[in-house]
Amino acid sequence: MTARDGQAAVELEGVGKAFGGRRVLAGVSLTVPPGGRLGIIGPAAGGKSVLLKLIAGLQRPDAGAIRVLGHDLVAAREPELAALRKRIGMLFQNYALFDFLSVADNVAFPLLHAGVAADEIDARVAARLRAVGLAGSESKMPAELSGGMKKRVGIARATVARAELVLYDEPTAGLDPVTTSKIYDLLRADQAETGSTAVVVSSDVAAVAAFADTIAMLHDGRIRWVGAAAGLFDADDLVVRSFARGEERDGAAVLSRSVEAARPAPGAWP
Amino acid sequence: MIFRRSLTQLGGRVMAMARDVGGVFVLTMEVLRALIPPRLDGRETVRNLYKMGNRSVPIVVLTALFVGGLMVIQFAAFVKQFGARALVGWGTGYAVFREVGPILIGLMFSGRVGANNTAELATMTVTEQVDGLQALAIDPIRYLVVPRVVAMMIMLVALTVIGDAVALIGTMIMSYVVLDIHPYTVWYSLVDNLGPSDFLHGISKSLVFGAAIALSSCYFGLTVRGGAVGVGRAVNAAVVGAAVSICFLDFLMTYLTA
Repeated sequence: MTARDGQAAVELEGVGKAFGGRRVLAGVSLTVPPGGRLGIIGPAAGGKSVLLKLIAGLQRPDAGAIRVLGHDLVAAREPELAALRKRIGMLFQNYALFDFLSVADNVAFPLLHAGVAADEIDARVAARLRAVGLAGSESKMPAELSGGMKKRVGIARATVARAELVLYDEPTAGLDPVTTSKIYDLLRADQAETGSTAVVVSSDVAAVAAFADTIAMLHDGRIRWVGAAAGLFDADDLVVRSFARGEERDGAAVLSRSVEAARPAPGAWP
Repeated sequence: MIFRRSLTQLGGRVMAMARDVGGVFVLTMEVLRALIPPRLDGRETVRNLYKMGNRSVPIVVLTALFVGGLMVIQFAAFVKQFGARALVGWGTGYAVFREVGPILIGLMFSGRVGANNTAELATMTVTEQVDGLQALAIDPIRYLVVPRVVAMMIMLVALTVIGDAVALIGTMIMSYVVLDIHPYTVWYSLVDNLGPSDFLHGISKSLVFGAAIALSSCYFGLTVRGGAVGVGRAVNAAVVGAAVSICFLDFLMTYLTA
């Protein structure tokens, strides 16, 4: 089953998720049309990564409904989820590179397990690594790479199979502005070429607003605001506007969270 | 008050143990299900066979050599007292094949290979590599666990065979040095009094211990919580779990076949 014309690529309705009694998501509803680019912003530890894992079918929601590429993820059994995941690419916040495989083998991994011919794998891996600026690093192991390089290998792996839906968790965290710009150019070019749908979680509000056509802000486990990316910085909602602009509000509550969110993980600089 | 708190703590530990035993049982069922029909990731299996077996040979050889010699030193006084020179080969061979070889090498294998396996899987879990596999539609049980279980079972058997042979060499050397018993005498005492069943008894134990170590180490690796600290705790739990399993299974198998 594929996402038919007019049918949303991703559809969440009243999705809730809690861990050990701590509510992370409460009644999240979102829709992403096929070929759309949704950016998700919000304070750190606000459930953005959990939301992506729910869309990828890696976790089950406690409440609500999730439909991805025409599949009901709540009702789907494991074989159906596995088949669906072949159509989804995902970049993890902590890269999730397989540390026992070289850079080239990491990028080739999804193709290898999809039964793609060896010479085509070599060509596509080489092209992907060139695109993310890592040509010549094929034989390096993940432990030899900087945080930024790992992130780029992760992007190459997430996009090499030309998935219908690509989920990016902090694709540019720890990257310098020039590389950030190049990465978003790459994502844009990929999307134009494959017609895929992209969902991006990012703390880099300006960069994700420039990339996405729609922005959703997750706040206190709920979608606080959804709208065109162009309107984010002038949103009527003061909390949203303050967060997007990084301005202080109500005793710096929002600012402190946005600053925390924007701070890269230790050792994440390229 | 103190009694109540102690009872609560005891109850909590029993519940945690029951959860772990149940978890290992569920993992065992998942591994068996993944093997029907038999499908094995060849590359991962070969990689694990090499990593787990090849690097364990030197430590097994060294330990087995000393253990074989040590048994003769312990027997020496009685052998001299009763003139039981013809029984040295039988006594050491019986103990090595049926008990000392499988248990000693199993415990060593658990401390070296099992602990390493738990640390590797736990690190993969906390760094989202296991999620990464699932995101690529690859079943972690089939890709990560099954090759490790198969490799550990094969390698523990192979190492036990090597360890048994080296322990007997140690026995022969020390019998000659301490008791002036010719290696041929030890050898004939061994082959005249022991049969294939004694050797196979130990090998069957190694096969079961290999599975127990693999399942315990994989379970604690995949269920780790809490980052680097959690990895340490998982390794500790896996080694303890494997040691207890080895002793329990050894008792059970010996009792049932006695």
